[in-house]
Amino acid sequence: MIVIKNSRVRQMLRWVIPLLAIPALVALGAAVLPEKQHLLVSLGVAVLAVVLFLTGFEQKKTGARRMVIVSVMVALCIVGRMIPLFKPVTALTIIIAMYLGGEAGFLTGALAAVLSNFYFGQGPWTPFQMLAWGLIGLMAGYLAPLLKKSRALLLIFGVLAGAAYSMVMDVWTVLWYDGGFNPALYLTAVAAALPHTAVYALSNFAFLWFLARPFGEKLERVRVKYGV
Amino acid sequence: MRGFADYNPIAAAVYFLAVTGIAMFCMDPVILALSLAGALVTFALLCGQGGRAHWYTLGLFLVMALINPLVSHNGVTVLFVMNHNPVTLEALLYGVAAAAMVVAVLYWFRCFSCIMTSDKLLYIFGGLSPRLALILSMTLRYVPLFGQQAKKVKQAQTALGLYKEDNLIDSFRGGMRVFSVMVTWALENGIITADSMTARGYGLGKRSRFRLFRWRAGDVLLLTGSLLLAGLALMGVHARAFTWYPAIAAAPMDALAIAGYGAYGVLTLLPAIIHAKEAIKWHCLISSM
Repeated sequence: MIVIKNSRVRQMLRWVIPLLAIPALVALGAAVLPEKQHLLVSLGVAVLAVVLFLTGFEQKKTGARRMVIVSVMVALCIVGRMIPLFKPVTALTIIIAMYLGGEAGFLTGALAAVLSNFYFGQGPWTPFQMLAWGLIGLMAGYLAPLLKKSRALLLIFGVLAGAAYSMVMDVWTVLWYDGGFNPALYLTAVAAALPHTAVYALSNFAFLWFLARPFGEKLERVRVKYGV
Repeated sequence: MRGFADYNPIAAAVYFLAVTGIAMFCMDPVILALSLAGALVTFALLCGQGGRAHWYTLGLFLVMALINPLVSHNGVTVLFVMNHNPVTLEALLYGVAAAAMVVAVLYWFRCFSCIMTSDKLLYIFGGLSPRLALILSMTLRYVPLFGQQAKKVKQAQTALGLYKEDNLIDSFRGGMRVFSVMVTWALENGIITADSMTARGYGLGKRSRFRLFRWRAGDVLLLTGSLLLAGLALMGVHARAFTWYPAIAAAPMDALAIAGYGAYGVLTLLPAIIHAKEAIKWHCLISSM
């Protein structure tokens, strides 16, 4: 069964989702649903955003080489996530976004989330993880010229992205637990997750410190050698 | 014998979506109890022993149940006052319900992971976008390939005497070198694969795809059954209108509420029912031989 076979339908989805579906969902959540249903709305928005991106991806003429490099990077993220206390996904997403652009970054982050969860356990957190990592990739793609120029900026971005990822996931934990956003619970969740946040931020720092340059050289080398 | 795992992935995904969605969004104690019981039965049938995971989940349940009364002070029935903050019965019960919801959803997702293997995911995503499905299948193939290649690189490096594992710094540097070799190899290998694909005409025509699953009568039945039961359950929950704060209250149990709870009970047991039906059929076939 092919769900979206028709390219015109896909084209339509690209317009309908951001302009109609997401605002309608948020408005519906605000107006109709009882106040404690932020969870439903946020989950819906996360899923729609990811679907939107994927429909856009199918539209573009992506060359075979870029496509294969994205899947190589996603596989490296998954293999890296299997090493304990080692969270390379954010760092690798940032690196690939820097060199191959924001779209490849979004795709790497989102796919690394959904595929590695096959090994670590899927959950209702998967769409949120996809969105969080995807957006980190997209932003790194936008900031690519700056990040390439300054290593300090890159490291700061990595630490901030790690902390932001962890805090976004805490928002999700609270929404899941309570249905609505409860600030007291959020503070508890952030405090409880503080060691994790620190691990995320530090491992991003270490990864970008050690790997950003060699990885960049490798990607550059492949580009020179094969003319990607 | 056609167990729940052999049903069409789209029908199974809709089933899981319905059963977990209702558990997540309806904070109704009866629904939560049914969901937790159904999830445990389904988990035992589809995935077998959980081992240590059960203890982990129990710990999670206790922590989550106890956190809510400590940070949330809504509710009218004050049990006692701690640090000038009231601890209420409603918050305590809501904490238990929320913890039950989280644990039930965790178990449903564990069942989901047992059933929805990567080939089924590929089937579903392939419908969304053939190109994406190609990326997914290549990635899933690369994961074990990289593992094997890393082992080979490591053996070669050790045989060359380039690193030993008897001190920490050396083994870390060796690990980094293996990883670095791996990345170069993976990227070049990927480019060669891509060039080979282009040379064979990838991207010239429309992409078709191989479909591992078909729609059979049972799949359609599972799909429509899940949707109907879920709809009935939602109507029942709506009729019951259970509220936790400020005081626990609910509309009286009418026929619709009972029907809704019954429907959700059947929904949670659908995999078990399918399992039992196939077991009985198999038993009859054996005895008639």
